[in-house]
Amino acid sequence: MSPVVELKEEQPIAFGIQDLNAWYGSFQALKNISMSIPEKRITAIIGPSGCGKSTLIRCLNRINDLIPDFRLEGQIYFKGKEINDPSVDPIEVRLRIGMVFQKPNPFPKSIYDNIAYGPRLIGVKNGSRLDGIVEESLKKAAIWNEVKDSLRKSALALSGGQQQRLCIARTLAVDPEVLLLDEPCSALDPIATGKIEELIYRLKEEYTVAIVTHNMQQAARVSNYTGFLLMGELVEFGPTEKIFTNPADSRTEEYITGRFG
Amino acid sequence: MKLEGMHLQRMLRGQKRSERVFKIVAGGALLFALVALAILIIDVFLDGFRRLDWQFLTSFPSRKPERAGVLSALVGTVYMMGLTALLAFPIGVGAAIYLEEYARKKNWFSRLIEVNIANLAGVPSILYGLLGLELFVRMMGLGRSVLAGALTMALLVLPIVIIASREAIRVVSPAIKEGSFALGASRWQTIWYQVLPIAFPGILTGSILAFSRVIGEAAPMITIGALAFIAFLPDSPLSPFTVLPIQIFNWVSRPQKGFFTCAAAGILILLAVLLMMNAAAVFLRQRYQKRLYL
Ligand SMILES: Nc1ncnc2c1ncn2[C@@H]1O[C@H](COP(=O)(O)OP(=O)(O)O)[C@@H](O)[C@H]1O
Ligand SMILES: [Mg+2]
Repeated sequence: MSPVVELKEEQPIAFGIQDLNAWYGSFQALKNISMSIPEKRITAIIGPSGCGKSTLIRCLNRINDLIPDFRLEGQIYFKGKEINDPSVDPIEVRLRIGMVFQKPNPFPKSIYDNIAYGPRLIGVKNGSRLDGIVEESLKKAAIWNEVKDSLRKSALALSGGQQQRLCIARTLAVDPEVLLLDEPCSALDPIATGKIEELIYRLKEEYTVAIVTHNMQQAARVSNYTGFLLMGELVEFGPTEKIFTNPADSRTEEYITGRFG
Repeated sequence: MKLEGMHLQRMLRGQKRSERVFKIVAGGALLFALVALAILIIDVFLDGFRRLDWQFLTSFPSRKPERAGVLSALVGTVYMMGLTALLAFPIGVGAAIYLEEYARKKNWFSRLIEVNIANLAGVPSILYGLLGLELFVRMMGLGRSVLAGALTMALLVLPIVIIASREAIRVVSPAIKEGSFALGASRWQTIWYQVLPIAFPGILTGSILAFSRVIGEAAPMITIGALAFIAFLPDSPLSPFTVLPIQIFNWVSRPQKGFFTCAAAGILILLAVLLMMNAAAVFLRQRYQKRLYL
């Protein structure tokens, strides 16, 4: 594979996306997207609602395979391997590439069982090992102190912000290499949002992060790279400070200065 | 402005009036239904409760009303219902899972199945009886056995079980399913660990209510020829049997006054079985919901 968009620094590439087109039925949601997502950096996808941000990151872990009339063309390389290749198991893709959704979606089970769900699926049965994974994941997601005494309580009793951190912890529990976050804060209040942003910022030490947001301040605050999508097209992609201070395309400038969207 | 305000007020007042009228009509209808039901039950109760004793519960049918009992019919009903549930529950839930979770691309085949299930649920039960007679009793050579009865009843309730289960499965939020898939779960794992536990109370309630319909059905049982005079208990799925509605039907059609009392007592037992099943449905639903959410 070849990196399609030159990155400023010599950072290994996690995802190389080439000529990606995607359809829901006959509606084309993504048009000729080519971009690279670097490893252990935070890449933000911004753009107005309905422009295809979710569609784009949902292609990266093949979760859109589950939508009956969804179809895509083009290549998505992850660490050099095409993830839609028939030889690739979508389950392995989803294990290596975790995803957190817009609305917190804890399972109607206990906090413990939410975190242990993924590890149990891949066959971790040993109780003390599960305990360890649960504790470690909750600590990484900065929620351990709040829930350590109520692990057996229902996850549905947590607040929205806590639920979203629980969902992040649940994703970390299967030890992925990438975290895809689809507007993880849009259902949360500013304080909860702040906590999650802080958490995301720390997570890039260990993980490749791609975050969709329609909040430009958020993109500017947390990300290293930013891509701007408009009506299914990638208008511009580059280092965040360049996109926000000196965009190459006039549409990008209009968007980030708030003239539309 | 002022005019509009008055107009609005008048409109609101009109709405309030029609709401009150609707309340009275609906309440009256409910009251009427309840009173009719109460009269029916009280009447049966007064006729039958003196006959409700241990002897009645533990005796076989007899030519003499005072020695007759409901044992073989009660055991036959429970036996047949158990077999019916054993047959229809897994098949019905399986079909519902298939339709909701696997056959999600709508094509002519899945549409055909859907329309047929909806129609089958409305077919008069006597037709199922005729089908059972031809298919199970004659062609498969099962005779007038509990098994033939249970198979017939399973066909009868299958559409209801499927519809109820599909409703329950459809309630499970797509976000939960996506969360499961995103953690590397297969479709089957997602169904088993997420969809079914959440849908189970609904599936169970719907199915139990469907099976309680089996208890009251007389027509298909008459058609396949369950006998009224059975002086032994079914010892295998292939033995002949009788069920409560048939026994009651038989007693009602006798001239002696004593048998009439027997019929009333039999109806009370039928009602008791129904009530217990509905109570079980409510109980199980409560229990599972508690376990899920706290
Ligand atoms: N499951 C779907 N079926 C049909 N159309 C969809 C589906 N999901 C999204 N779309 C359409 O695709 C376009 C892009 O959607 P999406 O990627 O969710 O946008 P964004 O996340 O940027 O708001 C929208 O026009 C939306 O209506
Ligand atoms: Mg979106």
